[in-house]
Parts: sequence; structure tokens; C-alpha cells
Amino acid sequence: MVSVSTFRIAWRNLGRNLKRTLLVAGAIAIGQFAFLGTSALMHGYGEQFFNSATGPMLGHAQVHAYDWRDDRSMDLTLDDIDALLADIRSDPNVTNASARIYAPVMAALTEDGFMGVVVGVDPVTESHKAGLLPVDGMGELLGEHRVMVGAGFAERHDLKPGMEIAVIGQDTDGSIASDLYIVQDVMWSAVEIIHGLGIVMSLDDAQELLMMPGRAHEIVIHTSDRELIDETVVRLSQLPSLADLEILSWDELAPFVVTMATMVDWFAYIVLIVVFIAAAASVANTMLMSTFERTHEFGMLLSLGCSPSRLSVMIAIEAAILGLLGVAIGTAAGVVFVAATSESGLNYAALGGSDEYEVAFQGMQFSLLIYPRIYAKDIVIAVSAILATSLMAVVWPIMRIVRLRPVEAMRS
Amino acid sequence: MNTNLVDVRSVTKDFHNGKITVNALRGLDLAIHEGDFLAIVGPSGSGKTTLLNLIGALDVASSGDISIFGHDLMAMSRKERAELRLTSLGFVFQAYNLIPVLTALENVKFVLELQGVDGGRHERAMSTLEDLSLGELANRRPNEMSGGQQQRVAVARAIVSRPRLVLADEPTANLDSENSEALLVMMRELRDKHGMTFVFSTHDPLVMAHATRIVTLLDGRVVSDKIKNAGDAAGSAN
Repeated sequence: MVSVSTFRIAWRNLGRNLKRTLLVAGAIAIGQFAFLGTSALMHGYGEQFFNSATGPMLGHAQVHAYDWRDDRSMDLTLDDIDALLADIRSDPNVTNASARIYAPVMAALTEDGFMGVVVGVDPVTESHKAGLLPVDGMGELLGEHRVMVGAGFAERHDLKPGMEIAVIGQDTDGSIASDLYIVQDVMWSAVEIIHGLGIVMSLDDAQELLMMPGRAHEIVIHTSDRELIDETVVRLSQLPSLADLEILSWDELAPFVVTMATMVDWFAYIVLIVVFIAAAASVANTMLMSTFERTHEFGMLLSLGCSPSRLSVMIAIEAAILGLLGVAIGTAAGVVFVAATSESGLNYAALGGSDEYEVAFQGMQFSLLIYPRIYAKDIVIAVSAILATSLMAVVWPIMRIVRLRPVEAMRS
Repeated sequence: MNTNLVDVRSVTKDFHNGKITVNALRGLDLAIHEGDFLAIVGPSGSGKTTLLNLIGALDVASSGDISIFGHDLMAMSRKERAELRLTSLGFVFQAYNLIPVLTALENVKFVLELQGVDGGRHERAMSTLEDLSLGELANRRPNEMSGGQQQRVAVARAIVSRPRLVLADEPTANLDSENSEALLVMMRELRDKHGMTFVFSTHDPLVMAHATRIVTLLDGRVVSDKIKNAGDAAGSAN
């Protein structure tokens, strides 16, 4: 139990050398701000990276027939797709579930053909920000033999809206499948398969072309919260209708995204470790100087009958207050920084002199605007760690005090 | 008033500084009686402060026996010596040695808190300060008081728990004669009122004038032990 006097002396001692106290608290505050600022940017980047990675193509989870991902065989389909979608959508965490068909085809305008990929999508359920049809009303352009083609694909083969293209492929029976379609529009997509090869048509048209009524190759699922993905996948995998199907979460589908996210986390932790070392060095140095300066005073307190343990507690309280003071200032500055930038975002590109806002890479679309995010967990970790670090930093000064003999200390 | 409060027998204290050994006390014998107002005098290096430190359980003798309130000081652990200092001894130092971040009142209360006194700390500390005419300075910090005022606060801190023995190391060394006189009169009154025993190490003739007994040290030994007759001491009722 810390007495009022012990706390009072510890608190007031910090005011004896106010400049030094403020300097150390300021150093800790800057470190804390650096940690919170960096982790907020990393979280913002990580969140954006996750959204980009799981966005239009990957989703939070996918359902396939076993081996489809490896073989891409036309006949490895999900059957009775409406019933499957109904079961999946009945899960409270699922916000969207959409069936897709993929089929390599030959396309032709005149006599010359070229490679393409038919992507059959549901015009309704794919028409959202994270879907394959991210522009409002885009889904209405599909259906009744109207298709959209990827911008790269269109440019390469000189496709323009209004043109009629012939699509020839192989249906699930191995028979030739072919039909004519009108290019309704050209679409830009970060998804390479769409941008460079895509002939995007309605799911109904694709099912008709490829002779796979009520069937699809893939169901892409989005949940309401990233944190709910795993439990949702576990629950869905227990549905009888999905018993013989493969259901995988995003991190199983794209392990490299997990690696990138882990790297982002570790970057923040490295900053945290540097902050702690700086905080520990500052606090240790201050407390050591402070105890050396006050050796005579400690001797006097010991001569009055004050126990070494009480003196140790006093020093520990001083260090803890110093650490908490710094961490409080740094946390406040960090929260203000995040509050000021979390809505408008920080434009990395502008900092680098560019006016680009987005880049696409590996089928993913990345924004160069980072929206910093701060989590209570980060604050708790930083406060606890700096408090612990401050207390560890006074072990040396405390060991010195415990060994002091009153008369020798009084002589100093 | 002849009960021995402290018995010092054949005590030696050596200080080692590299290869040099300084014999601060060389087989010193001294008995301190309850109610003594004792001045230990002698030239610098004669062992006055060393003796006070040993009696005050602040340091350990190299050899010999010290008994205080019937307890063998030499056999006490560090913790027991700290307990003894806390409960039965009061210290007044030359340089006042108040806790600079506490007010006069808080400095005095601090000793009571160390002793684990639960209730009435404020009242006891305030009453002691008022006894020493320091009531108005209760909320001042040491750097807001004169040397004489600080030393009176140090005395208040030393006596607030009514220790049986108060050890004062050159208490008037930093005071002018007026403040010294006032301090000594006050200590005599405390001794008379509460039956405390005071032991001073001093060079100050004023302290010697107030003392009821003067012990002179030379080269770590007692060379004279003079008890004044009642009424000889300055400021006595007679």
C-alpha cells in the first residue's frame, strides 16, 4: 500500500528539476506519438490492403467444388446454386454471396479469333463497391446477350460498344458452346482477368452458353466484419448443403496477403520496441541522476527510519508518473493526429509529388490515400509497455538505494 | 534521573580509506542518563559525530558494546536498527535536512506516518509546530523559511513522536546566536516538559552553556566528563 506522503514526495520530486522532467516526458511522448502514428498508418494501410486484396475478386471466403482451384475444369461445378446461395445468405454474418462462372473461350469479331475468358456474374449481387461491378447501375448493362469487356482486352482487340462478338467455348459436357453477344460497354477493372481477358456477362447468359443451368464454379462471400470471417467459415462448413464442397477463407486462398499483413504488424512492433528502448534509457538515466543527486536526502530519510522498500516504492512511483505523463501526452497527440486524418486520409502520392490516387497491381486496386486507424488495443499495449519499461528502468537505481547505509549516504 | 539510557563500552570505530586506516574512536566508554542535556565537545576529528552516529544506530562500531534502552545495538540487524531509529530516537542535523518538497507540517507528519500512527497525525504535528511557535509557517516549504525556522521544524520533526532520546549533531552550527539561544531554550523546555534526553555534538559555547553535562573527546576517547550543578546551566529555572 502506497502512503499519501510517499506518493506526494514522489510527485513533487518530479517538479524539483522541471526542465529535466519535461524533457524526459517529452521524449517519451514523442516516442509514443511515433508508435501510435506509425501503427495508425500501418493499420490504415493494412485495412486498405485487406480490402483491396479481398475486394472484387477474392472476397472474404469462397466456395468451390474440390479440385476446381487446381484443375479449373469446366465440369467441377457447384450444383443447385440457388439453394446453396440461400443457405449461405441465411448466415447472420454474411452480407453478400455471389455465384460466378469462369470459362476460357475464343472470341471473334470477324475471321480472326482471340483468347478471352467468360466471367459470368450476378448483375445484382456483384453491383457493390467490393464486387466485380463496382459502378452503380453497371449490372443493368448485362443480360439478354449484352456483355462488357475489359478495357485492356478491348484496346488490344479494338472492341468498342455496339460491336457484336462471337464467343466459342466448351460446355460442361465437352461439346462446343457458342453464341453471339453485343459489347454493351468497356469496363476498367483492377482484376487482371477482367481487364485483360474479360468478357463479362450475366450469370444466366453464361449458364445458357456453357450448358450449366443452376450451376456455377464459385461462390464469393462477404461478411459484415473482418473479425467474423473465421467463425462464419466454420459455421458455413457445417451446413449439410456444403458438406462435399471446399470453403476457404481469404487467408487460405491468398496466403501472401497474410504475409504482407504480418509484415505490417511487425513493422509497428519494431517501432514500438525502439520507443521502449528510448523510453527505458530516458527514464533510467533520469532516475539514476535523480537518485545520485539525492543520496544525502535518502540517507536522511533512512536515518529517520524510512525503510529502503519505501524509498524504492517512491522511486518507482516517480518513474511510473514520468512514464505515464509522457505516454499521456504522446497518446493525446496521437489521437488528435488520427482524428484529424482518419476521415480525409493522408495522400502518400502527394507527399511523393504525384497526383495519382490509385494504383493497380496483381489484380488488386490500391488507393494511395491512407486512412489512419487507431485501436484501443494499441493504446493499452503502449501504455502498459511504457509503464513496465519505466519500472524496469528503475531497477538499477533501486538496487543502489537498497544498498545505501544511512551514515555513508549522509556524508555524500 | 541516573538510569543509564545508553551504555557505550570500549567502543572503537575505524574508517578505511585505501591503505589508510583512521581510528575515529579508540576504546571509548560513556554512559548517558535519562534526562541528560549532554554536550559532547572536542576538536574536529575527535570523534563526536562518529559517536553520535553509533549511538543513533546509523553506523556500526568496529568493536566494543553499545547498549541502548537495554538492547544490545551491536546484535541488532539493519532492520531492527531502522525500527529503533524510527520508534525511539529523534535526530536533528546540522544542515536541517528537511524533505525539501514537503511543507513544515508535512515534514513533521511524515515521521508519524512512518511510525504507522493512524489517527490524529495532523493534530499532533500541528500541535508540535505550535509548541515551537511555528504554527504560522506550517504550510511553508523549507526554501521559504529561514535557517532558524528550518532548524526548529527539524526539532519538531525529531520530537513529534516523543522519542526517549534526541541526538543533535551541531544543531546551532548554521544559526546566529539569537536563533541558537531560542532553539536551546526550546529544547530545554521540551526536556523538562517531556522528560526527553538530549545529546549534542557541538563546538558552540552556547550549547555548552545550556548543557547539564559536558563530555569532552580527544582522539576518540573521553578525556573529561563534567556534570554541572543544578542551576549552573544557562536558562535553568534557577
